Amino acid sequence: MSLVNRLRGRLRWLLRSSTLRLALLLSVISATGFAVAIFVALTLGEDANERRVDESLSALARASVLEDVTGDGPDMILRSPDALRGLPSSFRRAVERGGGTVHLQNDLRGSDVWRVLLTADSEGTPVVVAVPLEETEEAQALLAGILWTTAAVVMVLILAVGFVAGALAQVRLSRIDKTLGRLAQGDLSARTGHTRSKDDLDDVARQLDVTAAELERLVMQTRHLSASIAHDLRTPLARLQAQLEMLPDGEARGAALEESGRLSDIFDTIMRVARIEAAQGTDGFESVEISELLNEVAEIFGPVIEDEGKTLVVDVTEADRIQADRQMLVQALANLIQNALVHGGETITLFSNGTSFGVADNGQGVASDMFSEIIKPMVRLDAARTRDGSGLGLALVRAVADRHGAKLELSQNQPSGLKVTLNFANL
Amino acid sequence: MRILLLEDDKQLGPWIAGGLREEGHVVDHFEDGKDALIAAMGQGFDVLILDRMVPGLDGLAVLKSLRASKDTTPALFLTALGEVDARVEGFEAGGDDYLTKPFAFAELSARVNALGRRRDGPHTDPEKPVLRYADLTLDLLSRQCERQGLTIDLMAKEFKLLEYFMRRPGRLVTRTMLLEQVWDMSFDPTTSVVETHISRLRSKIDKPFDQQLLRTRRGEGYVFGQ
Repeated sequence: MSLVNRLRGRLRWLLRSSTLRLALLLSVISATGFAVAIFVALTLGEDANERRVDESLSALARASVLEDVTGDGPDMILRSPDALRGLPSSFRRAVERGGGTVHLQNDLRGSDVWRVLLTADSEGTPVVVAVPLEETEEAQALLAGILWTTAAVVMVLILAVGFVAGALAQVRLSRIDKTLGRLAQGDLSARTGHTRSKDDLDDVARQLDVTAAELERLVMQTRHLSASIAHDLRTPLARLQAQLEMLPDGEARGAALEESGRLSDIFDTIMRVARIEAAQGTDGFESVEISELLNEVAEIFGPVIEDEGKTLVVDVTEADRIQADRQMLVQALANLIQNALVHGGETITLFSNGTSFGVADNGQGVASDMFSEIIKPMVRLDAARTRDGSGLGLALVRAVADRHGAKLELSQNQPSGLKVTLNFANL
Repeated sequence: MRILLLEDDKQLGPWIAGGLREEGHVVDHFEDGKDALIAAMGQGFDVLILDRMVPGLDGLAVLKSLRASKDTTPALFLTALGEVDARVEGFEAGGDDYLTKPFAFAELSARVNALGRRRDGPHTDPEKPVLRYADLTLDLLSRQCERQGLTIDLMAKEFKLLEYFMRRPGRLVTRTMLLEQVWDMSFDPTTSVVETHISRLRSKIDKPFDQQLLRTRRGEGYVFGQ
């Protein structure tokens, strides 16, 4: 069974080959063309042949007088229409029609095909002339045989060439396809490894390799750059931390340590956004139950929201499982909750519906035309940057959404406020 | 404990070595990877603290060589890289823990002690079912908390938080350590999760009583007890 299935799969794979499909289409068209051409040629050829024979027959009849001719020769019959005795009945029927080709069951004088014509002799007396057509018929049959055989051979050749070319092209295309798949999965070292350069497919394969190499180089460069930036900033930050910790206890030391902590937190967040944006593939993904996730987040952040004098509502109507990085989702929700705490109203809602979930508030909300603005890194709508926050919150949420192939949807909450939804429907 | 420190930074190195010595550890401080490797090969250390980027051999190469010679001394990497890739590389080389710069000394100390305990094995530190500090007791089995004979109701997270503190009396505990250990979060949640829970815990175990057990060290973290 599995063999049948495998063959069927193989066939389906092959039938997806555009080359093979083209070959099939072309062979159907040329087969039709061949058939029509051969049929017409044979029919016309037969007609022309019969006309020529008829002309010779009437010329023959006109050149003779019935009475003079004793009648039948070895390869010709010349008789009066009334004296058809001894000839098969099909002759009489042909004479009644005025002439035609007669096919006999048994040979008559060495031939089973005769051409019969009712015409007139030199004196105008009706006369029946008939000649055997054996040789012409044979020639005709031979011609037909040759034509049909040639057509069949050509068809088989076209199909075979199409099949082989299709299979070869499909093998190369599937290698390109596989390479693209691996690239999409985040394996930037994937190459087709194609070196031949003869046709368009080779060009595509080579172009793909060049593009992949460039992509890999850029990503490596970015990683290297961010690693250098990280190193160059983290080292002095670590020294700062060390020096602050060595200061004698006091208010000033505490305040300085607080600021240095904030500094490294912001830096960490920037690095994290960059890292999430650069990451690919599904490493670290697990099956996450959305309702469980939301309850956990509510447990962690509920007290914080309460202490701010606000209310947290968990509204889980119907929640599915998704494949995701749990930590990242908690982080995204934490940022959304923080945003809602700072900018929202009295009630913060954690909601879920199927594979989408998010955070809504009932504050002043954000104008719809600013939606695309606020998810850019470092953008804050209060230009003076007076309120707390680094402006990285929604950028991180967007990075998390992108990382999961989920959609980040901002909408107006009813009756007021901002509603941010992470939609995982595409997964 | 006997600790090998490989750190070439002129400020961080002495700061780490000094801090660890103050805590009663014996510290051999190296600024060059090769020297550190030779020392580590020759003598038995309890914990290795290796910086990723030092002249000569870097920390990663040092540990790889040690692991190749079947040395299983627990090792902690210090790094300014902090990238996940670098972290994975560190663990693949045989590292047991990883600390990203900048860090509070309390964090390094906590991690080094944890590694040292791991080496000693679980037998030397049996799980005590009841934690006690001054007049406060925390029963891990019946999940009960009492102070001066009064039962205190704690939420699950508050219980976990208090347990973490009571296991480290007198030691500085940073916000990062709490987030990682109590909430399993390796990132800054921006919201004041830790502060909120600490203040709730404090209102239950400290407010009604004279002696305050949980103190805040501004900019650094919290200390439970003396």
